[in-house]
Amino acid sequence: MKDSLYRIGWCIGLVLLQVLILNHIHIGGYATPFLYIYVILKFQSDISRNYILLWGFLLGLTVDMFSNTAGMNAGATVFLAFLQPVLLRFFTVRDNVDVFKPSAKAMGSAPFIRYIVTGVFIHHVVLVGIEYFSFLSIKEMFLRVFFSTLLTIICIWGIESIRKQV
Amino acid sequence: MRNLLDFLIKYNYWFLFILLEVASFVLLFKYNNYQHSIFFTSANIVSGNIYELSSNVVSYFNLQSVNNDLLDRNVYLEQQLASIRKQERIEGNSFSKHDSLMNYKLYKAYVINNSLTQANNFITLNKGSTDGIKPEMGVIDGNGVVGIVYKTSSHYSIAISLLNGLSNLSCKIRGSQYFGHLKWKPGDAQYAYLENLPRHARFSLGDTIVTSGYSAVFPEGLMVGTVEDMLDSDDGLSYMLKIKLASNFGTLGNVRVIENLNQREQRDLENSID
Repeated sequence: MKDSLYRIGWCIGLVLLQVLILNHIHIGGYATPFLYIYVILKFQSDISRNYILLWGFLLGLTVDMFSNTAGMNAGATVFLAFLQPVLLRFFTVRDNVDVFKPSAKAMGSAPFIRYIVTGVFIHHVVLVGIEYFSFLSIKEMFLRVFFSTLLTIICIWGIESIRKQV
Repeated sequence: MRNLLDFLIKYNYWFLFILLEVASFVLLFKYNNYQHSIFFTSANIVSGNIYELSSNVVSYFNLQSVNNDLLDRNVYLEQQLASIRKQERIEGNSFSKHDSLMNYKLYKAYVINNSLTQANNFITLNKGSTDGIKPEMGVIDGNGVVGIVYKTSSHYSIAISLLNGLSNLSCKIRGSQYFGHLKWKPGDAQYAYLENLPRHARFSLGDTIVTSGYSAVFPEGLMVGTVEDMLDSDDGLSYMLKIKLASNFGTLGNVRVIENLNQREQRDLENSID
């Protein structure tokens, strides 16, 4: 219960940050950070898959409402939410059976970075794929995915280091 | 059969996943570009309100430049006004032809007696009822409001100076509609106090105080003075502004008496309510 409330707080904060500030960032015309998926990436390892899917859908839909992109973020975020448990299992050591929350401390720095990079990259590929919805401008799509991923990872890393210190 | 059920239960999240993705894509194709629904766009009440709030906040960051623009504009208009005034003087157009003074008639008069130091100061003018002066006409000089005619004889009239405890002039800050009442306290002949100005009124020191035009004596917008200092009223519920009066009461000479041609009508109407 406390965990859920905590998560709702994070969601509201990140969605507001996303729609009010981050959505207006277009570095070089390509890079936009999509920081709200941080909530999805931080679900602990034993979470019910239905639960995380619903969270992903609602989160994406909320961002869509503000961005006038009905379904775009929702689709991409549901996809990420679907893959999150798979990724988490893939990037952690096999014999680790404890329940843990994804972080550099719990997983080790290198696996955590790989996990974040992969998760963010997949989300952005889906999102940008839906956004462009054609392969005609594949170079632009690639640039957008690449730079946005970079920016999102930097943002996530920033939040992680701030939380570590607190 | 049992195996099938087991399978379905075990992999039920697949169905939810597909369902949610389908829902997303339905939304994507149905509402994107067409904006059929306001529910999923920024026009809905929640996101609309949040955006409104955000734009309110953001607009504050532009205040500096907006303010500069307004200052430039102000200087420009001030210059224009000065040139118009000059032209008016050269061409000899009388003040009374001015549009805003259409319903007002001006009489020339000269101050023959004046006091500054008493608790209730009066001004005596050299025109009386035979010249058309009647009580409750306004008196102004070149700089601003001076007083209000109180009593008239056939050739003279007495006006209540602004420097009088009985004087109660409805004034406002130029450029806004916040108004208060100008009162004078015995003592300094240069300053009077604007009382009952609401707490939320916006102004700054040096702002111009003009007549509000509510009183049926003076037309709107006649210069009264400038804000010198800001004080709290005695009850603490409103502002009291210390006003530096525009007219120099020590050197009053030529004045104009203003007659509001519609004054009686306005008074009758207002009294009919009571």
